[in-house]
Amino acid sequence: MKKFQDWQGTIIVWALLLTMPFWIGHIGGYTTLGTRVVVLAVAAMSVNFLLGFTGVLSFGHAAYFGLGAYGAGLTIKYLAASSMAGLVAGVLLGTVGAMLIGLMIVRLRGVYFAMVTIAFGQIFYFVSFRWVNLTGGDDGLTGWTRMPLSLGPLSLDILHDETAFYYFVLACFGAAAAGMALLLRSPFGRTLLAIRENERRARFLGIPVDQHIWMSFVISAAFASLAGVVYAYLNNFVDPRAFRWDQSGDFVIMAVLGGMRSFWGPLIGAAIFVVLQDKLSSLTDYWMTPLGLFFVLAVVFFPRGVLGMLKRRRAT
Amino acid sequence: MARPSQANMVGRRTLLTAGAAAGLLPFTGPFIIKARGEEPIKIGVDNPLTGIYTALGKNEQAGMELARDQINAKGGILGRPIELVIEDSTSDKTDVAVQKARKLIQADKVNFLVGNVNSSSAIAIAQVAGELKTLHIVPGGHADAVTGANCHWTTFRICDTGAMQGAAMAKPLVEKMGKKFYYIAQDYAFGRALQAGLEKAAAKLGAVNVGTEFFPLGTTDYSAILIKARAANPDVIIDLAAGDDGINSIKQAVQFGLDKQVKIAGMQQELEVVEGLPPEARIGTWLFEWYWNQPNVPHVADFVAAIRKKTNKVPTARTWFGYAAIWTCALVANQEKTLDAIKLARGLEGMKLPPEVALMPGEVFYRKEDHQLVPAVFVGHLQAKGTIDPEDLFVVDQVIKGPEFMPPASETGCKLDYPA
Repeated sequence: MKKFQDWQGTIIVWALLLTMPFWIGHIGGYTTLGTRVVVLAVAAMSVNFLLGFTGVLSFGHAAYFGLGAYGAGLTIKYLAASSMAGLVAGVLLGTVGAMLIGLMIVRLRGVYFAMVTIAFGQIFYFVSFRWVNLTGGDDGLTGWTRMPLSLGPLSLDILHDETAFYYFVLACFGAAAAGMALLLRSPFGRTLLAIRENERRARFLGIPVDQHIWMSFVISAAFASLAGVVYAYLNNFVDPRAFRWDQSGDFVIMAVLGGMRSFWGPLIGAAIFVVLQDKLSSLTDYWMTPLGLFFVLAVVFFPRGVLGMLKRRRAT
Repeated sequence: MARPSQANMVGRRTLLTAGAAAGLLPFTGPFIIKARGEEPIKIGVDNPLTGIYTALGKNEQAGMELARDQINAKGGILGRPIELVIEDSTSDKTDVAVQKARKLIQADKVNFLVGNVNSSSAIAIAQVAGELKTLHIVPGGHADAVTGANCHWTTFRICDTGAMQGAAMAKPLVEKMGKKFYYIAQDYAFGRALQAGLEKAAAKLGAVNVGTEFFPLGTTDYSAILIKARAANPDVIIDLAAGDDGINSIKQAVQFGLDKQVKIAGMQQELEVVEGLPPEARIGTWLFEWYWNQPNVPHVADFVAAIRKKTNKVPTARTWFGYAAIWTCALVANQEKTLDAIKLARGLEGMKLPPEVALMPGEVFYRKEDHQLVPAVFVGHLQAKGTIDPEDLFVVDQVIKGPEFMPPASETGCKLDYPA
């Protein structure tokens, strides 16, 4: 019975996500808003994989998010007009980028690691900003759209049908969530937790720590680039700000707000962030103030995020 | 294999509570109950209200609100009142602008979309409007691509392009200032568009580019740039910076006494910037897209008085952009007697703005080929103190009417993509 209770949380999350297009309209939302929550949740979960489960803070995950987005956009625009081709190319580009950068930064720790990840993110930002012929520079990459999916006789018009696109994004989210959950339950995932808890002890146990952090970084970046791909599809547009440090900051805020170290925390964080941003900015020009205040309060009073707070309250 | 530790698992109650909390979040905004009798026509405004373009965005909005009140007083659109649904696009987050455009069209079901000050955002939301077949007016995003390479059948633009300003300014600059130009410009779409536009037009008149310096947005120290510019020994330094960068670069040029050694001029200048300059730095020859002190043009005085009453300030070019944008929606819908986007777009092609909306001399109309408004421009010089009014800081030397300077539509690279 215990086992079933553990699964209940996951079941509720999935029930809510799968039925989203049917209820979101009734509570004042719209399907694209839900899609946005799910897309950004993938990015926040990827940051959390590194931050919450390996104990390494990357402040430059937008680099891989942006690489995924540009990889997908450029592929559709110049190479092959197919959403699946764009997805594969975007994730590959982001992952390969993370492999190379990871090699250079994996020995750094703490604030130095965070600073260098920002620096690499900004490099991509400026490259995409200045390489106007390829990326469209500051104007962004336009003149392309996501393409309807077709698998043999089956076809899914994700371009014009917002609900179909939501389920496409949800499928990507599901794949990412399942991948991360499986990895975390594997010996590899347990090793990451060990590194998070006490890196020195892990080293003494003979665990190749740098190698594990590198792998965790690359895996996390692969999921971030997947998020970037679907984000580009969501907007049918990419611009250099997808690479910028404040985009990375948003991911960290979502992860921390919802609850780092908890698996579904970043999803809750992304939902709070996106919905607050959407609703508050309709009410007031100063919508960033309550959002910032909320974040400060969260960090001061419940540093494990919304989910962490709820859990602690139950435990006492 | 063992599961992650119990502490990391999310329980049923936690999730129920969190799910309920997340579900309740959208209710946090107060719902405004409206009378259902006369369903208003909605115009979605997706423009910056925060960030570096706040002042420009708010001035555009003041013009839009005045237009809304006037239109409603005259019976609205097709007998229905109009309502502005306003969203903050932020000044530089294009993805937020895109998200807001989708929200306005899909969730709020607006009939028209208006925005954006930021050129990149204007281009991006034009694509959304095209995709969702909604008539879109760009009041003040200047990048050439909006009505050029990235044009859409749904999008019409009020403010000028870099190519237009270059074509208008080249002659007065070459005649008054000399032929050796040194450019300093902001390193982004807008700065590059202005620089390219002027260089191309000035070259036809024999002017030469003796140097160009692009600097990052938000630069505060211009000493190195200005020393380099002086060393190139130009006849005139063309300062193409907008906003705070414009204020800082002109201020520093005057502090260094550069204005005594070489002429300083530029293209687009805005009253918002000029008011931020100390009196001794209000120098140089510039282009205004619209100016409030036009004593001989009918209706302008009424417009200025109405805006003054509303905001205690004179209208700027931005105020007029917003005003003309909302009036454009009403004029074309009442003329075509429909809200069908394709018919509206066809109706706007070639449509002339009436004098009480155009508020400038000459014929002002939307060009059919690229959906760009063809307005007059105001070329003149700044003055330290207003003569008739403290806000009269610009002296119009010359009004150049659209047809006299407009580069041909064939040069824009625009191919309109009407649905079959």
